[in-house]
Amino acid sequence: MPTLTPEMVPGLVAGGASCRMDVDVAPKFKVGDTVKARDINPVSHTRLPRYIRGRTGRIARDHGVFAFPDTSAASGTHCDPQHVYSVRFEGSELWGNHANANACVYIDLFDDYLDSA
Amino acid sequence: MAHDHAHNAPPSETAMRVKALETLLTEKGLLDPAAIDALVETYETKIGPRNGAKVVARAWTDPDYKQRLLEDGSAAIAELGFSGVQGEDMVVVENTDDVHNLVTCTLCSCYPWPTLGLPPIWFKSAPYRARSVIDPRGVLEEFGVELSDDIEVRVWDSSAELRYLVLPQRPAGTEGLSEDELAALVTRDSMIGTALVEAPAS
Amino acid sequence: MNGIHDMGGMQCMGPIVREENEPQFHEEWEGRVFGMFFTNFAEGHFNVDMFRHAIERMGPAEYLETSYYEHWLHVYETVLVERGILTQAEIDDKIESLREEGGS
Repeated sequence: MPTLTPEMVPGLVAGGASCRMDVDVAPKFKVGDTVKARDINPVSHTRLPRYIRGRTGRIARDHGVFAFPDTSAASGTHCDPQHVYSVRFEGSELWGNHANANACVYIDLFDDYLDSA
Repeated sequence: MAHDHAHNAPPSETAMRVKALETLLTEKGLLDPAAIDALVETYETKIGPRNGAKVVARAWTDPDYKQRLLEDGSAAIAELGFSGVQGEDMVVVENTDDVHNLVTCTLCSCYPWPTLGLPPIWFKSAPYRARSVIDPRGVLEEFGVELSDDIEVRVWDSSAELRYLVLPQRPAGTEGLSEDELAALVTRDSMIGTALVEAPAS
Repeated sequence: MNGIHDMGGMQCMGPIVREENEPQFHEEWEGRVFGMFFTNFAEGHFNVDMFRHAIERMGPAEYLETSYYEHWLHVYETVLVERGILTQAEIDDKIESLREEGGS
């Protein structure tokens, strides 16, 4: 790889490095589906937080196809492309009786984090 | 950025570790210090919440733009030239009379750099990351934002590569203001969701 | 991993401390650490997921007691050695020689 020079900085900063992958992968879910986050506990990298695992939510938006961080962290290259969804979880589902009134969490989750519920 | 004290006090252990790494990588031809100078200058002078404020002001004054912004945040923000690292895939969420949005990142400190700049320390801090999802109303109160229970609070936890910008509500009494004047009212915190935009004092 | 970084829902972490007119960088070294994210990324030393995981692998007490840019510095010191770009001895020797020179 070429060493980053000052001349390359504006292009890099403005262009970025999207983790979106231009591949045709079928989504497992559609907007409105009820899903349950898997109860996974890998010692390796994951972007599925503990407070979401095992909880049930609803698909609010399909963001398209992105590299899967759990495997990309290990391999060093973007891999395992799959759909990422904005999933809505009601406060009471996450925090029971201690939830704030009329509050919810939207979180971005990969296909491999979700099962149908 | 001037750091006069750096020339008087001995450098901290951390500063020494940083200097050691930069020196070694430079000696091996893997780093050009001038590139780091350029990056620091870029993020200190060109990239910050004034960019996001221009997006908000455009959305307040141009209904077609607002519609594009809410449908495809990345493309609409690119129209104003604020794309790039940590803003590659943007989602804009709108505050209304019925909904208030709050952005967080519980796992690290994901934040939309091209529109808001680098995150403030409080956004990266354990108290904010921990509480924002379990007690968003308490967090908002700590920031001076009290919302009635009939306003739904939506917390956006940036757990993947989407980055979130809040489109705050335009304050009443600003009908006569220009787009630039409106942009001047928009604060960083209002685009994270921890503040509302205030009308100018008359 | 079920680490300290996974903070959503934890309680009693204290007040949210804010700073008026906060600068982008508080110390000069923070800007250097920030910039090294780009230079190391451009060299192909890590991707963003490896970067985050290296932070997650910090000890929990160290994670909580150090700042954001110290976390980033920890990534470089860890990953560059793991990938054989630098050795720990090289880093230690360089720190020692800088200290003898009286700093920067």
